[in-house]
Amino acid sequence: MIEQIEFIYSHSPQLLFGFPGQRPGGLLLSVMLAILAIVIGFFFALLVGAGQQSRSGPVRWVCQRYIDIFRGLPLILLVIIIYQLGGVRILGFDINPLAAALIALVLYSSAYQAEIVRAGLLSVPRQHVESARVLGSSPLRAFFTVELPYALRVMTPAFVGQAISLFKDTSVLVIIGAAELMTITRAVLGSDITNLQHWITLYLFVGLLYFGIAYAVSLIARRWEEKSRSSELVHSLTTY
Amino acid sequence: MSLEWLSPETIKLLLEGLYLTIWLTAVTSVLSLVLGVVVGSFRLSKNRILRWSAAAYIEIHRNIPALVLIIFWAFAVPQLFPADLRRVIFFDNPLIFQIETVTGLSVPYYTLAAGIALTLNTSAYLAELYRAGVGTISQNIVDAARTLGASNWILMSRILIPRGLGAAFPAISTRLIHHMKNTTLAALVATPEFFHSTQTAISRSFRAVEYLLLAAAVYLVLSSLYAKLLRWIEDYLNRRPSFNRVQITPLEGAQNLVLE
Repeated sequence: MIEQIEFIYSHSPQLLFGFPGQRPGGLLLSVMLAILAIVIGFFFALLVGAGQQSRSGPVRWVCQRYIDIFRGLPLILLVIIIYQLGGVRILGFDINPLAAALIALVLYSSAYQAEIVRAGLLSVPRQHVESARVLGSSPLRAFFTVELPYALRVMTPAFVGQAISLFKDTSVLVIIGAAELMTITRAVLGSDITNLQHWITLYLFVGLLYFGIAYAVSLIARRWEEKSRSSELVHSLTTY
Repeated sequence: MSLEWLSPETIKLLLEGLYLTIWLTAVTSVLSLVLGVVVGSFRLSKNRILRWSAAAYIEIHRNIPALVLIIFWAFAVPQLFPADLRRVIFFDNPLIFQIETVTGLSVPYYTLAAGIALTLNTSAYLAELYRAGVGTISQNIVDAARTLGASNWILMSRILIPRGLGAAFPAISTRLIHHMKNTTLAALVATPEFFHSTQTAISRSFRAVEYLLLAAAVYLVLSSLYAKLLRWIEDYLNRRPSFNRVQITPLEGAQNLVLE
């Protein structure tokens, strides 16, 4: 038992932050990838989500197909397609696994986020937008100053949920070796037969790391949501 | 476009993979639905120990990635046993050979483990959704059924389960489609399902583009077919006239359900 704990203790720096002297890896990279993908994905989602409500048929069609395709494919397949086809076949050189991972996560996540954006935009009361228009603001300005801030507040809990799910999904990046937590776990265990006894403790530890972050964020989000809901109620009572 | 890359052997390989993917999805979907309803009911139970253990089960299996669960059950759990015992329990087990005779699939322990892990993962999500669905059932109906003398079993089987599942079914469908996509993760523990056979085909022929695009098309078709099937089940579950829509009193509604 002592031996097992020592094994985990001696490898925890790699598991948490990646191998020394290299780019950040491990748990830190998993978290960074999830945050980056959710933030970049938001801009794609905004385009696609708004495009779904466009008056132009072809635009709506393209946006709908975008969502269908990236939601219908398993993430692991998307990652491999971008890594192998995007790199060697299209660009003609090996794409960095990290770049492929980020692109795949952004495309995958943005399809889910687009649905959230659409629901969020639909929840904005029409009167708010119309009042802004009557007061003389341009459609674009009304979108950014009235619609978006309102919708963002509605969308935030769903985005946090999406970020947690994306954080867990970073584990599939092990298939291209993107140096995130699962890749490092595999590297630490290696093919050394004497490490077989450490499999169970190490995977329990890694499971605990994922659980810790995901559960903590979901608890914080839940508390924050309750708080903001009550403050929103107060806000609506004082305004109207 | 010539199709010479698609030799008869690879077609056979891919079809076998597809067959296992469909089996794996079907069996684990049903199992996780059943387990989800059981755990969700425990979560709603008045017994504090049952409620807390169900909550722990849900949080643990929801917050750990499916891939970690799969590798844990497939590769780590057998290491708990000494080598000779491990062979007997996990690999030379006659029960495992039974599955092969019934389904015609060769199912090594790793495949079973992947199925178990996927079931645990999805059932945790479904338990929460089932609980939310039961939450939408009007208390009047439950009270009326109780007044009519419905036993716990009647209450569960006639009201809570069908209505709870029916109300939560759109969300349950989304999760089950996600579950279908998650079966690709079983390929990482050497389960010969479709994604794994695609990879085998690529490593034999070095034709990554063709096989990856084919796999993408297959998964898109599979997820839309599965979505259609689930939509059909949803319509079936919600086909009875709901007493929220049809204007009858909760008492009459419960009478219909309990006494039918």
